[in-house]
Amino acid sequence: MNSFALLFLVLGLGLIGWLTGRARAGRLIRAAPKRSHSRPGQHAAYVAMWTALPALLFLTVWSAISPALVRDAVLETPAAASLPSFGFQRDSILGEARMLADNPEAGAFNEEARAIAPVYGAAERRYSWIGSAATILLAFAGFAFAYSRVTPTFRARTRVERTVMLVLLIASLIAILTTLSIFVSLLIESARFFAVVPITDFLFGTHWSPQVISSTDPGESLGAVPLFWGTFFIGAVIAMIVAIPFGLMSAIYLTQYAAPRVRRWMKPILEVLAGVPTVVYGYFAALTVAPAIRDFAVMLGFQYASSESALAAGLVMGVMIIPFVSSMADDSIAAVPTAMRDGSFAMGATRSETIRRVLIPASLPGVVAGMLLAVSRAIGETMIVVMAASGAATITLNPFESATTVTKQIVDLLTGEAEFDSPKTLAAFALGLTLFVITFLLNIVALRVVKKYREAYE
Amino acid sequence: MQKRIRRRYAAERRFKFMGLAAVVLSAGFLAFLLVTMLSNGLAGFSRTEVALPIDFPAAKLDVTAKQLQNRGADLALAGAGLDEVVDKAATAAFGEQGIDIISDRAWTEVREALKSDPTLLSRKARIDVPVSQDVQNALDGGGKPAMRAIVSGMQAKGLFSNKFDFGFLTSADSTDPTNVGIWGALKGSLFTMLVTLLIAFPIGVLSAVYLEEYAPRNRWTDLIEVSINNLAAVPSIIFGLLGLAVFLSFLNLPRSASLVGGLTLALMIMPVIVIASRNAIKAVPPSIRDAALGVGASKVQVIFHHVLPLALPGILTGTIIGMARALGETAPLLMIGMRAFIAQPPEGLTDPATVLPVQIFLWSDQVSRGFVERTSAAIIVLLVFLLAMNALAIYLRNRFETRW
Amino acid sequence: MTDIQAPAVRTNQTDPAVAAPAQIKMTARDVNVFYGANHAIKDVSIDVDMENVTAFIGPSGCGKSTFLRTLNRMNDTISIAKVTGDITLDGEDIYSSDMDVVQLRARVGMVFQKPNPFPKSIYENVAYGPRIHGLAPARRDMDQIVESALRRAGLWEEVKDRLSDSGTALSGGQQQRLCIARAIAVDPEVILMDEPCSALDPIATAKIEELIHALRGKYAIVIVTHNMQQAARVSQKTAFFHLGHLVEYGETSEIFTNPRQERTKDYITGRYG
Repeated sequence: MNSFALLFLVLGLGLIGWLTGRARAGRLIRAAPKRSHSRPGQHAAYVAMWTALPALLFLTVWSAISPALVRDAVLETPAAASLPSFGFQRDSILGEARMLADNPEAGAFNEEARAIAPVYGAAERRYSWIGSAATILLAFAGFAFAYSRVTPTFRARTRVERTVMLVLLIASLIAILTTLSIFVSLLIESARFFAVVPITDFLFGTHWSPQVISSTDPGESLGAVPLFWGTFFIGAVIAMIVAIPFGLMSAIYLTQYAAPRVRRWMKPILEVLAGVPTVVYGYFAALTVAPAIRDFAVMLGFQYASSESALAAGLVMGVMIIPFVSSMADDSIAAVPTAMRDGSFAMGATRSETIRRVLIPASLPGVVAGMLLAVSRAIGETMIVVMAASGAATITLNPFESATTVTKQIVDLLTGEAEFDSPKTLAAFALGLTLFVITFLLNIVALRVVKKYREAYE
Repeated sequence: MQKRIRRRYAAERRFKFMGLAAVVLSAGFLAFLLVTMLSNGLAGFSRTEVALPIDFPAAKLDVTAKQLQNRGADLALAGAGLDEVVDKAATAAFGEQGIDIISDRAWTEVREALKSDPTLLSRKARIDVPVSQDVQNALDGGGKPAMRAIVSGMQAKGLFSNKFDFGFLTSADSTDPTNVGIWGALKGSLFTMLVTLLIAFPIGVLSAVYLEEYAPRNRWTDLIEVSINNLAAVPSIIFGLLGLAVFLSFLNLPRSASLVGGLTLALMIMPVIVIASRNAIKAVPPSIRDAALGVGASKVQVIFHHVLPLALPGILTGTIIGMARALGETAPLLMIGMRAFIAQPPEGLTDPATVLPVQIFLWSDQVSRGFVERTSAAIIVLLVFLLAMNALAIYLRNRFETRW
Repeated sequence: MTDIQAPAVRTNQTDPAVAAPAQIKMTARDVNVFYGANHAIKDVSIDVDMENVTAFIGPSGCGKSTFLRTLNRMNDTISIAKVTGDITLDGEDIYSSDMDVVQLRARVGMVFQKPNPFPKSIYENVAYGPRIHGLAPARRDMDQIVESALRRAGLWEEVKDRLSDSGTALSGGQQQRLCIARAIAVDPEVILMDEPCSALDPIATAKIEELIHALRGKYAIVIVTHNMQQAARVSQKTAFFHLGHLVEYGETSEIFTNPRQERTKDYITGRYG
């Protein structure tokens, strides 16, 4: 039986458990002299829970481990003795055998696969039966256990609610689990990379050309400094030169000057700016902005201006970040107590003086934290640089020249034809780890500052 | 003193003007972007057709009118060599270059025309068929000079017409820009969003409930909170690496599948949903909880009967914003192999698929002139979806903002 | 059950100023409440009568509301709150592990300082409690419970034609009576009222006080108030709290005319408060 059918069967049994549990509880409670602890519906939920949950849990675990069990069973049969003893080739034969077992009409590349397919099919069927039988048995056992406990004095509600809380707790742990698995998976792959390429070469080397990796000294062409520089130059310098003044001034204008009607219209418009997907910005940067900037540079007298200039990518990225900076600044300014502003007005300061001398200094921690988050977002931004920046890693201060970034290189490294274990692919994970660590630190610092700052004014 | 005041007021005006300029320029950039996309993209929704005269009786197609009404009509027409008939008709009508004038899929248009009107078999007819990319280029003022000359001659005779291209909305990717469509990518996006929603929404809401209603204040809870806030700010490409390392190489899930894309995006937008849901739950006044507890509701009943229904508009707003973000996301999906050329719309969650933003990215890389319009047209479709979602979120937020 | 379906409000014939012979409903012995390091209630022992209205008075922050909330374990919702000592309801220890807090709150209802109807219809506000406790098997029973609870709360005549309107659309006084109806609908034995009139105007307050008179004897009623006149008007027994201590407890007439403790006298004569 396939696992979908089994899933629905278990859910169906759960429903039956619910109905019978409810009927029994209703009967017993009506007959009982005292007000009972739990309502029939709660008893029903208890029975349904016991019927379905253990079976589903088993089903999940089983479907994760049974392919491995089937494989081991097949390998132990005499038919598998002729297979290559280890490695890639055997795996591909087994994979084909599995495909053939599922769908006998498919063509096979390896002759051996055709021979093993029946064995494979038999093993699959056997384990599938074991799994189905165990699942159904568990469902019935759970049902019998819970059904027998339904009495007017039984505290079904307490049990059900405890389970609900457990489910909620598990859901909230998924966030930690995600963070952890990001960190661990990046760390494992990076460790494999650093086993081949010395970490100092990677972090301090100034030559990056992953297309030609020498087998004797792979670290020589995998020095990431040009990428770090490009990322910093595009994301933290050019983009911020655009985003910070525009974002900050928009926030100030919208919170301090604009009429409520203007504010009501302009805020959603800025939000739309934030909602435009990055691939659209990237396309726009590559199609419209980059050629314009190249022409402009040529006009200024730069003969060899690149059509994939750092300026084009950084400029568009800056525009993309404007609404983000604006909304962070908006929040920080709004958090400054009105009393402070009134105090300044009462002394005869003009609005702009109040803003410059009182509001901005008072909201500075929040604004700075917002900028850190904006930088974190800019250096992690991928599509704009993938589409508009160049792949050539150079260290330059000239915005009309090309520059590349960490994210762009990750995409380039992972979308070639390379195998998963080559230094080239693994380098992407090392870059990913670097990016993760840097953005993580920026985020933590910024979030902490924001929190402290909020508390200070509360 | 007067002079000083005047100077201060001048500074005031300058400052205000700078603010206004910042807002106007930001909005102006958005307008410029939208106008560029619209002007490029609207052409992508239409195609040029040329009237092709075909003499069906003379072509001696080996099919009967009855066959055309049956289900095997496509096969019968292909077997009878309809494509050659069409090519010949093109040569006859437009000369030597005829075959280059009509699109490769012109004969499928003829096929559809025959199926809808079998009586065509017994007479001469003029059927509008799509032109090739070369003609399209020539019409736009590019391409080879020879072709331009032919095309301008035909244009003078009024053979060309411009029609809305339904094929763009109903077919999948192709190597020929006149044949491409977004349906494959849209379907992939749909499947991916489905997986994302089914995973991220329940988990996000449930963990928000736990953090707001149950979690004790301790280091463990702080850790969860830091994780969530940080995850919301982790670059999206990192989630792609996670998907690659965990879902593909560790769990061996199928490459390029909407299932994996959906899982990856679910992890990415879950923090968004958690944060929005927590704020919505926090906004439910404690007095409501007290009231329900006071009549003997249990904690779970308080949450599911009172708190969640009241927080629902806020939760939905956050979810829609998160889903909009997932719908526009490209980078993590490139990492898990959803950038393949896929000419067949996916049939299931594990089929190779691509999504709309990735399709845009792929087309943007094509050098052929026809793809620029198609890319912009696809962007317009994507933006329409995203704008609709954002508008819905803003509407929900305003509609239910103050209820107590 | 049969009582609650009685159609009319029964007026209490006994003299409101005189305490009836006591039948003890709830007892508290050596109760201490801690909020983290803050010792909010110190060694309070008190008996609550079935037949009488008991008023808790005292300056703000004296712990009277905190103590009230220990009587139906509403303090459970505050994670740092810790309660020690014994509190019983009909001789059952309400803090024992056998006592289910949900069932306890069905028996000991509560009305809060600010009217807090659910943002649902008037009917649903009253029906919610009976529904979760399974008191009304059929729709008709529920209609009856809702009507009788609203009648007892003196609200029926005002709302009978608009039961499907939102409870939050009522006036403040009506909302508070709706909350009382909501508490009555689950047929409790004790009703705790935490400054139920502090958010209301004088006319609405008078109506609530009338209602408390009418409900006396049917339910054991405990009311926290910062308004001494109100305590004198509605209660037969009064407890005076100060800085977490129960300073004095006795017949209301005694407390107001002839307090035994110096501190009570100072408070009642308005020397502090």
